[in-house]
Amino acid sequence: MTKLLEWLLGVSLVLAAWAVVSFDLLELRLPQSYREAAWPMPLYLLVSFGCYSLGTVGYRVATFNDCDEASAELLGQIEEAKQDLRKKGLKI
Amino acid sequence: MAMVPQQGAAETFRSFCSAGYFYRKKNSSRKRQPAKMATGVDQAVGMSLVVFSLLLFTYYSVWVIILPFMDSDHILHTYFLPREYSVILPGIAAVILLLCIGAFTAVIMWKNRKPKKVD
Repeated sequence: MTKLLEWLLGVSLVLAAWAVVSFDLLELRLPQSYREAAWPMPLYLLVSFGCYSLGTVGYRVATFNDCDEASAELLGQIEEAKQDLRKKGLKI
Repeated sequence: MAMVPQQGAAETFRSFCSAGYFYRKKNSSRKRQPAKMATGVDQAVGMSLVVFSLLLFTYYSVWVIILPFMDSDHILHTYFLPREYSVILPGIAAVILLLCIGAFTAVIMWKNRKPKKVD
């Protein structure tokens, strides 16, 4: 079984469980509050995934370390490369 | 890109490759420098993003999961909009996000169009 088929099987199982609970397909007669909580579940998972992504990006931005000397050295090497290529005939 | 007229394409490519190799050798000897902390604006923006995402997550979680189990006359209900908005507002936000991405892409592509070469 390929990975794609495994993922599709898992996703369809979860979706079937969600549909049974929120639309009462098997006449289970769950309490109304459970149905009200389960119905927006796909959207809730999407929103929480978006929040997690935003939080991770923000955290990595806040803790990213600066390396000033490496940056200056790299800029110098870029200048060297430009001059060398100009000598070899490339218009920059 | 203007090439030296005498050189063929292969030789130009080889000279560029050797230049890259020369600079790559220098890069591998760059020393490990002590890393500094991120600058002030970076930290402020990052931390505000983290706090905003946490607040949004807690508000939405309480709205969707906890509120249906509270009694209708609980005081918590006054702080939250009716439940229909818990679906409509993320939908509107998604549409606005897609609009912004599309507009940004259109602006960039418009700026980068080149007139067709006339031979």
